[in-house]
Amino acid sequence: MTKLQAKNIVKHFDHNGNSVVALDGINLNVDEGDFVCIVGPSGCGKSTFLNIVAGLEKPDSGEILLNGNPISTPGPDRTMVFQEGALFPWLKVIDNVEFGLKMAGIPKDERRQISHSYLDMMQLTKFADSYIYQLSTGMKQRVAIARALAMDPEILLMDEPFAALDSQTRDLLLVELQLIWERTKKTIIFVTHNISESVILGNKVEVFKNRPSKIKKEILIDYRRPRLAEDENLQKYYHQILDELKSEVIARTKEDSQ
Amino acid sequence: MKIKSLYKQILFYAGIVAVWQIIFLTHLVPEQALPSPMQVGQVLVKETSDGSLLYAIANSMWRLVVGLVIAIVGGMIIGIFMAKVEAVNQTIGSLILGLQSIPSVAWVPLALLWFGPTDAGVIFVTVAGALFAISINTHSGIKNIPPTYLAAGRNMGASGLQLVTNVMIPAALPYLITGFKQGWAYAWRGVIAAEIIFSIAGLGFLLNLGKHDKDISQVSGILIIVMIIGILVDGFVFKKIEAKILSRWGLSK
Repeated sequence: MTKLQAKNIVKHFDHNGNSVVALDGINLNVDEGDFVCIVGPSGCGKSTFLNIVAGLEKPDSGEILLNGNPISTPGPDRTMVFQEGALFPWLKVIDNVEFGLKMAGIPKDERRQISHSYLDMMQLTKFADSYIYQLSTGMKQRVAIARALAMDPEILLMDEPFAALDSQTRDLLLVELQLIWERTKKTIIFVTHNISESVILGNKVEVFKNRPSKIKKEILIDYRRPRLAEDENLQKYYHQILDELKSEVIARTKEDSQ
Repeated sequence: MKIKSLYKQILFYAGIVAVWQIIFLTHLVPEQALPSPMQVGQVLVKETSDGSLLYAIANSMWRLVVGLVIAIVGGMIIGIFMAKVEAVNQTIGSLILGLQSIPSVAWVPLALLWFGPTDAGVIFVTVAGALFAISINTHSGIKNIPPTYLAAGRNMGASGLQLVTNVMIPAALPYLITGFKQGWAYAWRGVIAAEIIFSIAGLGFLLNLGKHDKDISQVSGILIIVMIIGILVDGFVFKKIEAKILSRWGLSK
């Protein structure tokens, strides 16, 4: 069943008075329970696309349908895990996780129950009363995931959430995220510039091309889980995506040097 | 570390009193111009025991607190509107920059004409002194909120007033506290200045009384009290809050 549909999304940016095309007609179908990874070079508009899905930015034309209904504003049905720094330092870990529930007017007892179950899931119970500055970068991203899941969203949006992590922490979270996905059966859109991340996580990988930004190719990865970073069998997908992106990077370098 | 710096301070102030006493004993300065530490101490003890000092402190403090609360609430509202509505920033914002350059004491004549020598007059001076600094700091605080905080707040369903109270104000707190500190300093100057000129009960009144009686011990003693209150409020109220905010925001040095 189609969960989310992007129909011909176009977005321009104003750059020094010139209009630059950020997204040139993105069409995407995300099915219920999909783990979609969007991979592409930096500046290809993949984060802009995610922001449009989240309702944080508006497209110039085109529309996003969630369960068949057009959406244009942010909503807790599409919670986002940001790259970094989006946890609130003035709140304890548990209050961060409960923030959206509080905004929705859910009573305190119920909030506590929900937040504790997600803190458990992310192995954060011990840190419920900590403040954000007391956590490592990896812990922060676990809290961010718990906070996004606590809203029980229709779709979980992730914008390069592991980009700032050291590789051991990242490998660990890559496995954990797969387990969470299997357990919660959430639909996930995950944006990254890291090809291995997209291969490990995605059952669909959308390769974005640059200038004009479009989806160049969709690669389906049907492979057992949890997938590990060192799995040799994932290499062929990795190289397939790399080949698609290589021509992009070369084309861009040429363009820039002209 | 902390204890050590406390010792240093005690030693420093004891040194000042000692130098003061020595200068007094040399009679280089006439006694009408420089009282001895003992004379000042006696005046303060006398005014403490007859309750007049506490009464004056209480009067000055309640005016300060009322004025500061009004200035904080009003200043934050103005500052948020300046940050959110560009037209407000361009119009009211420029006016506030101008008004902020007026020293607190310069509002006293206007306060007298509008309110007479009353509590309301003193509070007006206090508010006028603090309001604009708080507005300006609130404005820059809101402007400097990392955009991801706002995006995260909206993403989790906060909007309108909810977003203001649950994300914007707490996110801007490190700036807001700077504004409150400035505001308090201006407000305190304003209270004392207004009390001197209005001559109504308060520390400023006791200063004025000392001048009237040519009682240099009284004037010096009250000045010291005004300074001590300043140190206490700054060091024990604002510094503590500021340190807590900065450490929690991961900004502490």
